[in-house]
Amino acid sequence: MTKEEIQLLYKRYIMPESKSPHSFQEAVDYTDLISAYNPMCGDKFSLKITLSNSQITGCSFQGFGCAVSKASTSILLKSIEGLSIKESITLCENFIQEIDGNLTGLTFDEPLKVLSLLKDFDGRIDCIKLSWVHLLTHLIKRSNEN
Amino acid sequence: MKKNIKADFPIFEQYPDLCYLDNAATTMMPKSVVNRITQFYTSEKANIHRGGYMLSNQATSNYESVRHKVAAYLHAESDRCIAFTRGTTESINIVARSLASGLSEKNNLVTTLAEHHANFLPWQQICEESGAELRVANLTKEGILDVDHLASLIDHNSRIVAVNHVSNVTGAINDIAKIVSLAHDQDIPVLIDAAQSAFLHTLDPEQVPYDFLTFSGHKLLGPFGIGVLYTSPRYQDMIKPLNVGGGMVYTVDKENTYYKPYPQLIEAGTPDVAGAIGLGAAIDYINQLDKGSVAAQLQELSVYAYQSLSQIDQLQFVGRPDEKSPIFAFNLEGIHPHDAATFFDKDQIALRAGLHCAQPLHQRFNLPASIRISLSIYNEQKDIDRLIVSTKELVDFWS
Repeated sequence: MTKEEIQLLYKRYIMPESKSPHSFQEAVDYTDLISAYNPMCGDKFSLKITLSNSQITGCSFQGFGCAVSKASTSILLKSIEGLSIKESITLCENFIQEIDGNLTGLTFDEPLKVLSLLKDFDGRIDCIKLSWVHLLTHLIKRSNEN
Repeated sequence: MKKNIKADFPIFEQYPDLCYLDNAATTMMPKSVVNRITQFYTSEKANIHRGGYMLSNQATSNYESVRHKVAAYLHAESDRCIAFTRGTTESINIVARSLASGLSEKNNLVTTLAEHHANFLPWQQICEESGAELRVANLTKEGILDVDHLASLIDHNSRIVAVNHVSNVTGAINDIAKIVSLAHDQDIPVLIDAAQSAFLHTLDPEQVPYDFLTFSGHKLLGPFGIGVLYTSPRYQDMIKPLNVGGGMVYTVDKENTYYKPYPQLIEAGTPDVAGAIGLGAAIDYINQLDKGSVAAQLQELSVYAYQSLSQIDQLQFVGRPDEKSPIFAFNLEGIHPHDAATFFDKDQIALRAGLHCAQPLHQRFNLPASIRISLSIYNEQKDIDRLIVSTKELVDFWS
């Protein structure tokens, strides 16, 4: 990816999303708290979701992270709101597989499509995946409880 | 002279426009080191201390000659003070594990907030296991070790004082002579993490009588996988091996084993012979430099970097020590270090973003992360100029 391409991606997608992230606020009512932490770079988000009858009915997040991890977390939360646990797990698994380059040919909605382009960023895969991986682990655990 | 030094490093033939500013993580290797390692693997490879044939004897002799070379480099009193390890982390773990069995709740270990995790976690871990207290000396707002606080933490129940010579984040140079004197007043040994200082700031143990000192070869123009642990004669008997196995014993029978003394005691198994030989070649390379002149040029470049970075309004340094090595950590207002590193990378500027394995130091300054640049002998003024241009462009882009 050239510098100009990265600048364009940042300007058009990452910076607007990270500067006005979805539900970046202190939630009072929630059922599940997920901590997403990358000890290498210090990025740390608290994801708060509300589960009702195995449906994600609400989500928000707070914390510190780079523009990529923040934008990715914002898009993640937008994408799972209203989905069931099972649908969210499938979405997270598919997206992580796509980012890791293990699956191709999947179709994603526009924001996820853009996000998946970032897999070509050298060394930024962990930033993109941070919240996805932690949420997936949590949802699988919750799914097994039910 | 600077131009000639850069020409010695083949990485810059491969990447002529590489602006490499991550020398605190690892230094590049001169051609002579690469060639020496290649020569070993192409025409000298044999295991040491075991064969009765020419190649093995030659490998043994070359390996042991590096021990002698390291001892001379450190001005150590004897080759027997020098053990080869995998690196600084392993060296410190060896000393920590050796201390662990004698610790109790009444003891304490003293370290500082400015340590790399390699010189923090081993002590924290053995304190947790034994109930001993980990005492951590503070830093001033400039990022300088509060030596008075450190002094107040040392008492007759201390079992070690473990400090870096140079911080891997702020570049602050600690007054090791003073620290050693404070600890020795109470008869407490001192371990020096010299990972960032062994290259250009060697300490003479006759003048600064530290007890343990360690560094990694790859930060001294050498290869990965080889490190050094210096242990003074007084403390060699307390050192215990992390690993047991071949090469470190005199006799083994069903009931008893008689071990060789330090340093062979901690070199069980086949060591990294090529790594040691590469380290020897790195020391040869350093020894042929005019160290005083090189250090002076690097200091000049460091001042230039500091002054240039200081002119960027949106830049905040992590600490501002007066006595420092050419390592700088900073943040750019509103720009996460990782995002910044991505843009610098596109300008072929290699630097580091994150916590640099120094979380306690970042917590001290309430920082979630930082950008770090670190210079070495092949860096030039134009590297700093490129960094400044790139930084200004990034700040403009982000605003």
